[in-house]
Amino acid sequence: MNGPLIVQSDKTLLLEVDHELAGAARRAIAPFAELERAPEHIHTYRITPLGLWNARAAGHDAEQVVDALVEYSRYPVPHALLVDVAETMARYGRLTLSKHPVHGLVLTSTDRPVLEEILRSKKITPLVGARLDPDTVAVHPSERGQIKQTLLKLGWPAEDLAGYVDGEAHAIDLAEDGWALRPYQQQAVEGFWHGGSGVVVLPCGAGKTLVGAGAMAKAKATTLILVTNTVSARQWKHELVKRTSLTEEEIGEYSGTRKEIRPVTIATYQVLTTKRKGVYPHLELFDSRDWGLIVYDEVHLLPAPVFKFTADLQARRRLGLTATLVREDGRESDVFSLIGPKRFDAPWKEIEAQGYIAPADCVEVRVNLTESERLAYATAETEEKYRFCATTATKRKVTEALVRKHKGEQTLVIGQYIDQLDELGEHLDAPVIKGETSNAQREKLFGAFREGEISVLVVSKVANFSIDLPEATVAIQVSGTFGSRQEEAQRLGRVLRPKADGHEARFYSVVARDTIDQDFAAHRQRFLAEQGYAYRIMDADELLAND
Amino acid sequence: MPEPSTAAGAPENGTGATSPRSLAEALRARDDAALSALLHSRPDLLNPVPGDVTQLATRAGTRASVVRALERLDRFTLQTAEALAVAPDPCPYPVLEGLLSGGEDERARAALPRALDTLRDQALVWGDEDRLRLVRTARELLAPSPQRPSPTGLGPTVAEATAGMSPTRVQEIVAAAGLPGTHDPVSAVTALTALFTDPERMSALLDEAPAEAHQVLGRLVWGPPYGEVTPNPAPPVRWLRDRGLLLPATARTVVLPREVALHLRGGLAHRDTSPVAPPVPAHREHRPQLVDANAAGQALAALATVEELVKSWEHTGPPVLRAGGLSVRDLKRAAAGLDTTEASAAFWIELAYAAGLLASDGEADERYAPTPAFDDWRELPPAERWSVLAAAWLPATRTAGLVGEQDAKGRTLSALGPELDRSAAPEVRRRVLELLADLPEGASADTEAVLARLAWERPVRTASDLRARLAGWALTEAEVLGVTGRGALSGPGRALLEHRDPAPLLAPLLPEPVDHVLLQADLTAVAPGPLRRPLGDTLAVLADVESKGGATVYRFTPGSVRRALDAGHAAADLHAFLKEHSRTPVPQPLAYLIDDVARRHGHLRVGAASSYVRCDDDAMLGEILADKRSAGLGLRRLAPTVLAARAEPTALLEGLRAMGYAPAAESGTGDVLVARADAHRTPARSAPVPVPDGPPVPDATLLGAAVRAIRAGDLAATAVRKDPGPAAGVPGELPRTSAAETLATVQAAALTGSAVWIGYVNADGAASQRVIAPVRVEGGFVTGYDHTADEVRTYALHRVTGVAELADDHL
Repeated sequence: MNGPLIVQSDKTLLLEVDHELAGAARRAIAPFAELERAPEHIHTYRITPLGLWNARAAGHDAEQVVDALVEYSRYPVPHALLVDVAETMARYGRLTLSKHPVHGLVLTSTDRPVLEEILRSKKITPLVGARLDPDTVAVHPSERGQIKQTLLKLGWPAEDLAGYVDGEAHAIDLAEDGWALRPYQQQAVEGFWHGGSGVVVLPCGAGKTLVGAGAMAKAKATTLILVTNTVSARQWKHELVKRTSLTEEEIGEYSGTRKEIRPVTIATYQVLTTKRKGVYPHLELFDSRDWGLIVYDEVHLLPAPVFKFTADLQARRRLGLTATLVREDGRESDVFSLIGPKRFDAPWKEIEAQGYIAPADCVEVRVNLTESERLAYATAETEEKYRFCATTATKRKVTEALVRKHKGEQTLVIGQYIDQLDELGEHLDAPVIKGETSNAQREKLFGAFREGEISVLVVSKVANFSIDLPEATVAIQVSGTFGSRQEEAQRLGRVLRPKADGHEARFYSVVARDTIDQDFAAHRQRFLAEQGYAYRIMDADELLAND
Repeated sequence: MPEPSTAAGAPENGTGATSPRSLAEALRARDDAALSALLHSRPDLLNPVPGDVTQLATRAGTRASVVRALERLDRFTLQTAEALAVAPDPCPYPVLEGLLSGGEDERARAALPRALDTLRDQALVWGDEDRLRLVRTARELLAPSPQRPSPTGLGPTVAEATAGMSPTRVQEIVAAAGLPGTHDPVSAVTALTALFTDPERMSALLDEAPAEAHQVLGRLVWGPPYGEVTPNPAPPVRWLRDRGLLLPATARTVVLPREVALHLRGGLAHRDTSPVAPPVPAHREHRPQLVDANAAGQALAALATVEELVKSWEHTGPPVLRAGGLSVRDLKRAAAGLDTTEASAAFWIELAYAAGLLASDGEADERYAPTPAFDDWRELPPAERWSVLAAAWLPATRTAGLVGEQDAKGRTLSALGPELDRSAAPEVRRRVLELLADLPEGASADTEAVLARLAWERPVRTASDLRARLAGWALTEAEVLGVTGRGALSGPGRALLEHRDPAPLLAPLLPEPVDHVLLQADLTAVAPGPLRRPLGDTLAVLADVESKGGATVYRFTPGSVRRALDAGHAAADLHAFLKEHSRTPVPQPLAYLIDDVARRHGHLRVGAASSYVRCDDDAMLGEILADKRSAGLGLRRLAPTVLAARAEPTALLEGLRAMGYAPAAESGTGDVLVARADAHRTPARSAPVPVPDGPPVPDATLLGAAVRAIRAGDLAATAVRKDPGPAAGVPGELPRTSAAETLATVQAAALTGSAVWIGYVNADGAASQRVIAPVRVEGGFVTGYDHTADEVRTYALHRVTGVAELADDHL
């Protein structure tokens, strides 16, 4: 009775990191519990129904879960919790979706009352066809996604064993010349392929693109890749050409500017969700080829309409890539039912410990507003308050001081408000990349930054995602999208690429004291702290005094 | 009801001087230990203490006492008593054994002596082996009668069933059965009985019966023994009726005589004799350590839940309903607070109440609140705290499981409310745990098996399944309380059951309180175990509790730090406190947070003032402050040009004027107010409603009821009696007849179905006259349709002063 784990009555698990059995306990609970917080001493995992079903989908049973809890727990585990775990897990797999030789897609139950219960639901009735026998009911093939979503909401997640279409074959191989998939990437690819469809969770900078490429090499079929924006699309293309047997000609870009459909097509969420006269004109992309694999980059940002299309694509293999399953809109369950269960997960710190991503020093710089600024802030309209305190002139001075402090290092200044960025660019004598910057110009500036020709780059939120800037060692965040946690993670990810000299990355947030900016910052930083990135707080006056 | 054989002590057909002739005599022959055992198992006999053995025997024969004793018998013992009730009186042991075992059931044969001993100990059976006698009241209760079928499903004997039959009819039956004719009806019945109890002749007789007749018999053999017949029945029934195998019970029903049924049953009194208690086998076996650990986990959760519940009522507890108890809304709120179901919340509330941790405060605005005992309880070590709860739970008669159900009057039973006591609860609870204790350590029992066993031990004679439900609740409650773990009795649970202190056994299973926390950069503190109390209390002020269980997770927020500062802690104290109690270095963001909040804390100051004095000339304000006459105004200088005052603005104005100044009143916006007397108004009032003269007009229902009552009273008072005896002379007076006459008259009326007029004195001594149509006269009571009350009622015969028949034209 001296294990590293403490089981709480609210179904959180506290893992004492420094305990000698911590590693074993972590391996035992990782399949079913989501790592929620990973600060320095005690990590918090949470047992959720989704997590338990993820574990069931991965082939674990309730007995293993209960054993893991009982074995590593320091204190007696309340019986009620164990019963609840067993009951929740037993709900998965009572219903299975499978392919019937005669009737096509069918829903089968091993527990007749459950089938009766769900068939009585008004939401299920329109999705199913005839009752074939007491335990089987036909499902319209087009409703495969919809029924999974609905069943999950009813608390009876269905196991999808209906298989996948192979899609149009296309030769894709990894070109492992002088590099190889890292072990965890290899595991992620295997985990995904074995499970059929699902989500791989890897921190920023851990090489998610390569996991995508690995999956494509497994599928050896035409692939549709959905990414957040055009820059990201180009980067995918660049990476695929470099790492696989694919050539430029085999990869198409489907975006606002180009509409190429090739064996491997990279499309942006933006263009897919463009609506004209009430219809989505670019949806035919999904049907334009017999895709064998669909890759969703940054799954946690998947826009709602894409979920809807995805529901219709259940017969195709789907791979979700993300740094976090946390969605600000709380649609985690849709990711589970439509893309698939989590297939692989590696905590940020663990990959950092393996040396694949750089350690980072996070600092919050608290800026005192001047008296006139405070008065202006107090009288500002509620909706203007954040903008006002996030863009004060005092912040600019502090940012300049920080840039001076790290002179000679590759520095990114990241912000939300364009005029603030323009002003900063002017004072720092640095180029600004924002939404209106042309893609060619962006590519050029990023190239120059990578080469070290320019050392300071001011970027708007376009740089939040999928821009590979491995040389950046300092990031200064001057304003953000309110309290968005995943934005904070993405921005930190910009500086986490391993540095050639093993140099520690720095991540500064400049925050106006005693304002709403500070509250948002607290919310964002809590996420970082929970990921194990301890941050310090320093006063701007201190910084300016040293300057 | 007296036991005639006791009082009379009439000599029976001499079977030797040693054989007792009455229950009293049998009791008298017992030793003191046996008598005290009797009084122990039937404590109602002691109330009041009987004067002598005769009185004891008399009381042991009263109906109420016998009913109570019968209810406490196990199934086989009860079946033995039931068999005795259908056996000849007195009954030799072999006959009884035959009724229970059918001559074949070895288990019944083996179990019989024990059952008989129990019945003897309980003074329900007395007499020698060859002359066993069931106490007469028990016999009346258990023997079959048309009104009350016996659990044996047997009907009356031939002698009983032919009692009212014409001798000619009896002769016909005897002849049809192939017996020699006799003119004496008594010897005819004896001959018939002899035929029915002779297996060989009986078999021969039945062999002649048509096949359908066997079917008819088959339907009646295990009871109920009555069957409806048409006036002109089918041939098979007629065949049976002619031979007395079916005897008429009423005009339209026939009954299977007991002797015939017994023959068909192979001599068995019961279809299913259950001589052996159903076993409660081990359902699932766990390692005892695992069971104890699980139970300890629940025990810990129970302690936390009770503490959280009672603490949550510390400031404003829920109000006590006027009828007593907790409102449904407050119960829901408590359940939400504990994150549990209402049923389980009711259990925790009742548990805390039973342990004396919470009670009503008895104020005018009555609310529930923790008791002083709660504070003492919290000071105890966890294991002892659990002992207190468990010791309160085991003997409690209050039954939380009933909360939310409705009582007989349709009122919802509320938690902490009245009517929740069930006297059987402690006994059932203990019995359930004893059954678990009989299993090997770590073994759990199947609920169904436990219920079956309990049902055997106390075959429920009433329709309610209260005992089964109590047993179900006992099992669930034992599990959530940690008396059992995974359904098996835990070590501490066993100690509790054996009246030992469970605390020493539980203590090593519970986590040790810790005196440190781990501070982390995400502004949380984790206490990796229960915290020592002063530390935990301080931390609960300084940080918000985020997660509970074996450990506690606290989160520091600006709000929580401010709360600590408000509570009088200085920033330096907080730093020192964290440093002292943290195993890990205090993270920089946390230290920064405390300083940052402390920096702003108290920057703004708030106080109460009733009025103020404002003046541009600070010298004049200084003057006012210095003036002794201003002392009563409670003035304080807030700023050079502002004084705050405790006095009301009008008093302040008066005071300043008295001091010789000329102050002006100011409005909220700073304008000078001009004083003007306000016209007085009442608060909003509605106009008076007209009050009509006299009571409201009654509705039709009320009128109808009133008329019926008047008519019925009229009937009773003016009834013309057929035989106006001398005692019933004056109209309006109660009729008077002797007890024998009363009995005879009502019995006659019951037979003819006619109505009689009775005088009745109720338990309070109030006399009334009623017109009733007797239906049944038995056990000293007359039951009949009361025309006066318009319903069926039962009257004690000894309270009937007299009875008179009614003239026919009255009904």
